[in-house]
Amino acid sequence: MLGALADPKRRRAIALLGERPRSAGELAGALGLAPPAMSRHLRALKEGGLVEDGHPTFDARVRIYRLKDGATAELKQWLAETEALWSHQLAAFKAHVEGGP
Amino acid sequence: MSGAAVIVALRVAATPQAAFTAFTRDIGQWWRSHPLFQLSRHGDGALRFDPAGPGGRLVTRFDDGAEWEIGAVRHWLPGERLTFAWRLPSFRDDQTTEVDVRFEAVGAETRVTVEHRGWDAIPQSHVARHGFELMLFQRRLGEYWRGLLKGMRARL
Repeated sequence: MLGALADPKRRRAIALLGERPRSAGELAGALGLAPPAMSRHLRALKEGGLVEDGHPTFDARVRIYRLKDGATAELKQWLAETEALWSHQLAAFKAHVEGGP
Repeated sequence: MSGAAVIVALRVAATPQAAFTAFTRDIGQWWRSHPLFQLSRHGDGALRFDPAGPGGRLVTRFDDGAEWEIGAVRHWLPGERLTFAWRLPSFRDDQTTEVDVRFEAVGAETRVTVEHRGWDAIPQSHVARHGFELMLFQRRLGEYWRGLLKGMRARL
């Protein structure tokens, strides 16, 4: 289901954050991205409601990213419903074009 | 608009031009209300592109005569590509997703690919409020398709 996230780097970031929370630097290293590109992806994921950030209790200078609660379940649900909708409509369209019932 | 997207494709026995025309001109005829996922609490209504062409909008008209603009057409390239915004009554004003439909010749047939993107824009409470719990949804969908296929085999 996460394969449906459009950008492969973001899919990978989501998979990594699914294992455990990580810092931007750690994610950038794992994905082979420069820090500005990593920030851009993290901002998009945050705006998309998939990821949130915070500071660990031991160090307020460090920013840690993690998957937002419920984000993946809701995403999966939207993907499943939207895929079901269009599969259904395209099948109806095909029947119409080909002169079916 | 980034992030998640759904891609669904199938082939139809028609030229890209004919498929595009049928998709746009006849949408009110071929669109079938999904038993588990309706566009609004009043059902799907009768869909149409109005006016048909660049600068048009996808509109639906409910049984009570009320109309809803699903979204403006962004690309209208007959035989190639159709892109329109997709916003349901349950969305907030500033929230919209996008549907991109491509028509590609494959031999004598046409591959029609629908890409629906912009989950990021969906209000999260909307999904939680109106959606089915995923497992239940998939089970019911499976039952629905099994029923359809059984009906089809019975007719053959």
